[in-house]
Amino acid sequence: MSCSADAVKEKLLWNVKKEVKQIMEEAVTRKFVHEDSSHIIALCGVVEACLLHMLKRRAAGFLRTDKVAALFTKVGKTYAIAGDICKKVQELQQQVEGRKNQPNGQEPLKRQGSTTSKTPVLTPQAIKHIWVRTALIEKVLDKIVQYIVDNCSKYYEKEALLADPVCGPILASLLVGPCALEYTKLKTADHYWTDPSADELVQRHRIHGVHGRQDSPSKRPALGIRKRHSSGSTSEDRFAASAREYVESLHQNSRTHLLYGKNNVLVQPKDDLEAIPGYLSLHQSADSLTLKWTPNQLMNGTLGDSELEKSVYWDYALIVPLSQIVCIHCHQQPESRWTLVLVSQDGTQRPPLHFPQGGHLLAFLSCLENGLLPRGQLEPPLWSQQGKGKVFPKLRKRNSNKSVDLEEMPAEDTSTDYVFRIIYPGHKHDNITINYHHLAASRSASVDDDEEEEDKLHAMLSMICSRNLTAPNRMKDTSEMIEMQGFGANLLSWQLEHCSQGSSCVSCSTGSSPYDIPSCCNCIHDRTPLKMLCESMKRQIVSRAFYGWLAYCRHLSTVRTHLSALVNHTIIPPDKPSSAAGGLTKEVWSKYQKDKKNYKELELLRRVYYGGVQHEIRKEVWPFLLGHYKFGMAKKEMDQVDEDIALRYQKVMAEWKACEVIVKQREKESHSATLAKFSSGSSIDSHVQRLIHRDSTISNDVFISVDETDSAERDSRGQDDPAFTVVSADTPAAVAAVEQQSVEFDSPDSGLPSSRNYSVASGILSSIDDGQSVSFEDGAEEEASTDLERTDPDIPRMQKAKSVVLQSQDSVSEEQLCSQVDYLMDVASVCAASYTIELLDTVALNLHRIDKDVQRCDRNYWYFTADNLEKLRNVMCSYVWEHLEVGYVQGMCDLLAPLMVILDNDQLAYSCFSHLMKRMSQNFPNGGAMDTHFANMRSLIQILDSELFELMHQNGDYTHFYFCYRWFLLDFKRELLYEDVFTVWEVIWAAKHISSEHFVLFIALALVEVYREIIRDNNMDFTDIIKFFNEMAEHHNAEEILRIARDLVYKVQTLIENK
Amino acid sequence: MAGGEGAGSGVPECREHLFKVLVIGELGVGKTSIIKRYVHQLFSQHYRATIGVDFALKVINWDSKTLVRLQLWDIAGQERFGNMTRVYYKEAVGAFVVFDVTRGSTFEAVSKWKHDLDSKVLLPNGSPIPAVLLANKCDQKKDGSQNPSQMDQFCREGGFVGWFETSAKDNINIDEAARFLVENILANYKTFPNEENDVGKPKLDLDPLKAESKSQCC
Repeated sequence: MSCSADAVKEKLLWNVKKEVKQIMEEAVTRKFVHEDSSHIIALCGVVEACLLHMLKRRAAGFLRTDKVAALFTKVGKTYAIAGDICKKVQELQQQVEGRKNQPNGQEPLKRQGSTTSKTPVLTPQAIKHIWVRTALIEKVLDKIVQYIVDNCSKYYEKEALLADPVCGPILASLLVGPCALEYTKLKTADHYWTDPSADELVQRHRIHGVHGRQDSPSKRPALGIRKRHSSGSTSEDRFAASAREYVESLHQNSRTHLLYGKNNVLVQPKDDLEAIPGYLSLHQSADSLTLKWTPNQLMNGTLGDSELEKSVYWDYALIVPLSQIVCIHCHQQPESRWTLVLVSQDGTQRPPLHFPQGGHLLAFLSCLENGLLPRGQLEPPLWSQQGKGKVFPKLRKRNSNKSVDLEEMPAEDTSTDYVFRIIYPGHKHDNITINYHHLAASRSASVDDDEEEEDKLHAMLSMICSRNLTAPNRMKDTSEMIEMQGFGANLLSWQLEHCSQGSSCVSCSTGSSPYDIPSCCNCIHDRTPLKMLCESMKRQIVSRAFYGWLAYCRHLSTVRTHLSALVNHTIIPPDKPSSAAGGLTKEVWSKYQKDKKNYKELELLRRVYYGGVQHEIRKEVWPFLLGHYKFGMAKKEMDQVDEDIALRYQKVMAEWKACEVIVKQREKESHSATLAKFSSGSSIDSHVQRLIHRDSTISNDVFISVDETDSAERDSRGQDDPAFTVVSADTPAAVAAVEQQSVEFDSPDSGLPSSRNYSVASGILSSIDDGQSVSFEDGAEEEASTDLERTDPDIPRMQKAKSVVLQSQDSVSEEQLCSQVDYLMDVASVCAASYTIELLDTVALNLHRIDKDVQRCDRNYWYFTADNLEKLRNVMCSYVWEHLEVGYVQGMCDLLAPLMVILDNDQLAYSCFSHLMKRMSQNFPNGGAMDTHFANMRSLIQILDSELFELMHQNGDYTHFYFCYRWFLLDFKRELLYEDVFTVWEVIWAAKHISSEHFVLFIALALVEVYREIIRDNNMDFTDIIKFFNEMAEHHNAEEILRIARDLVYKVQTLIENK
Repeated sequence: MAGGEGAGSGVPECREHLFKVLVIGELGVGKTSIIKRYVHQLFSQHYRATIGVDFALKVINWDSKTLVRLQLWDIAGQERFGNMTRVYYKEAVGAFVVFDVTRGSTFEAVSKWKHDLDSKVLLPNGSPIPAVLLANKCDQKKDGSQNPSQMDQFCREGGFVGWFETSAKDNINIDEAARFLVENILANYKTFPNEENDVGKPKLDLDPLKAESKSQCC
């Protein structure tokens, strides 16, 4: 006895410890605890349980309803602090009473007093625990408990926890911590922004994930969702939440709808026990349907004080997620009482629920049927009958017909047994699960004799299940399956015999819809009912199996058409010919280099895909992965490639550098011109003046390709078009300007005025000083042929210019610089003639954008010193120069940066970046790949995680997947740490040849899947999820993500490949 | 971040607002810097280019009875991806349009951004959301001060509720600009008949009158 009493105390104390830990955890991670936190309620619950333990009858008062109130009032009489609490509580209770009188009292209770409330609004749980809660929030609970402990003899029995010389003081000291916390009531209506940070969400998920609880701070405790698998073993969990909260959870609340409630439903919890009455309820939350049955003893709190006694009833209570249930058996008992048995997937039966007389079962089933919609349904469905509402389907007339004769029961309402399946059409797992569905009468003894047959059927079913993945044409008909299992002769003959019985039965041959099966039963109305029963049973099983399989095949074909383009169809395993988990190591690489001809490219890529590249050899391997070199190239060929690239790079560099000189010069001119013109005002003022009188729809994103402008130029040559006014740079003033500029070459914010600004200014200039600008059409025929990229006569000049440009990068003496600048100006002046204003504008705009982004590109990464940023800029400008039609778009720097880090060589980076951009540029606004990614994400999530898809759809519908934008644009570069970016990129590049060209999709999917519980449990909407992933950037476990991504590809591959 | 707002549990009367505020403007005008300065009192030259959108939250103890949470959406300056800005703008109740005083083109783009804003998001009563124009980097301005009367005129004609010369670097006028915007947002709420029900809820533009129009914006 004393042993069990100690256990109870220990348990009570343990609960308090646990809740204190939780609340302190919340306080630490969030810096504050909200008054509405579920942890406060939970703590109050367990403290209350302690306070009530062995409370003296006298102390408890005769107010049976609220013993805690009685205790506090009593303590308050002698202890001032407790007295204050009593007053506070009374005030609060009055306010709550006042509130209750308002209409729709439920609604405002849910919304915390954050919006416009004049009085604090308490949640129902808070009201339940108002005494302990108020004491806690007023930070005196520990003192009160200490006082009670000190004066325990007055209030408690000897064996009470608070009277215990050890436990009592422990309890009081446990509460010191929570009483030192600040509790805030400041919170937005839906806890929008006080929601924990992404880190914290993940942390919490880890903590609670261990216990299988899906707790989240802004939510009710997850007791209702807790799965109770078969029996026992969950007692710890069960104690974790207070009984009251459990009972609260039975009510309808913001998270779950109460679909059905019925008291005095009997359950016989154990064979040796009498059936006890309880409250049966059906709860629907966003994604699940749960059946609960709670013994009355727990419901009305009429239990004795013994916690142990209580715990027995907790054992009896049922919590059944209907997702586990596949079959519902309804048996009619005498006097139109009904018994309902739930059968789960694994075949285990729940204790029968005995419904009282009347239409309760039907009401329950109809609620259940509604609750299952839209995803699930009862099969066969209930029938709707006009005037009567839902009625039982008329299936089992056979039974009644027969029994009318034998037992002379009333004609109607005698159909005694029904079996309903819960099916989820279109849900693949449930399609696989073919539920062994026996008729009610199969429980009779004679069928049990047939066990052997049953076993065979089971075997066959499992065979069918296992073959579900086979293509439809591999199994032509059911007879093939049957034969395979040695059923052939037996069953076929039965089929034949059966079909020969008469025309009325033809319609119920196995070929018709699965829903017709019940009608088959109607046909079996004569002789040897048991045998027939057995046969019809077999037939049902076979046909159900068949249709399940068929539906699954159909589903698969949908999957195939949607997903087959996303993955490679050949599965390349990680372990053949050897394990690739080690990745591409130095050893393997040097082996390859020694024997290039015989080494298989695919094998190298397989290693990269499954294990990445060893860091030391990345510089060598990346050019291969990106396509700069081809695998198997000889050294000579590689050198040739490098040489070609070097030439091209230098040429491009020379081109845009020359152009840049002019752009910079124009800027200087325009700047000084602007200053001269508007010496009294600012440039902004001038814009104000102009803009005030202008249309507001200006676009300064003018992109004209070099080719386009050139051809346009040629076409309109000779026309007197002011657009072709060009600026000759060959003036001493300009040289000076350029010289100045070459000094501050890499100053990022050199106050680049806009292109438009310039074109205005240049107009002004030309009016000011005619000598500085010449008109193109004035004998510029020769000059026009200086089409930089193509015209031969220019090449020597260009090369000279190039050498100048390249030299000028090195530090040279000023004298040299001067002469070079002179020369450069010479070249520039020649080139200038071939640039249109539009081209110069475009270049200016792009240079500015590039400068902006280069200067702030990953500055906290060690590699990006000023020198290396200059390299980055050169490569970026070269690429953009060649792709002016797209221009520079933000994000490109991010893509180039890791290449620079690894390759550390302009030319190589330039080439590799060009290769990389072949794929990546499609993601930028001018390409269409981003939308395709989003659409593919949609398909993938819909098929692989429909639950999450539903949630995304429901919470404001963010199935547009815009939260993945940055992921796809930058190949996850911003989501991961640099070291991880390298690996992830390699895998993406290798995946194209190994598993999927769209591997990014699977990484994205993996990112979503890793956090799916957090996303789901916190009911994230678009803002939440985009904020979450922004905060999680660089906090992901890349290795895990990659592993999941590879698994997901494999999953889709197997779905499609049918292996 | 939100730890400091505990106003004690004894204050029964407290009104909370959550306002979604957009920060838009051309690339490199200093949107992120303004937000970081405003929220974290920090300035760095090296904030990375924003891709997509970033978030920040600023909690303001507006007065003894009002707490305002600004949910600042830092939208990339070069975001042209289709429908995405529309989704970003959804349910915003105020905006900062930022330009760089040292670059005239960013000022020209102001009208474009404003136009984009007004075409994609409106207040429940159908009027444009209050937008404040920020002339950022005023510490770097070389050529005299702007002509205030011209800027005022520009704001009137462009539909801005006001403008401020700001500097994220030197922390000039940023708090003032935010305060001014919040005043305007709050003023809008005072004029709404259904204030009691809607204020502070996340779905800020879910005015019953406008509820049907909400469905069309993706």
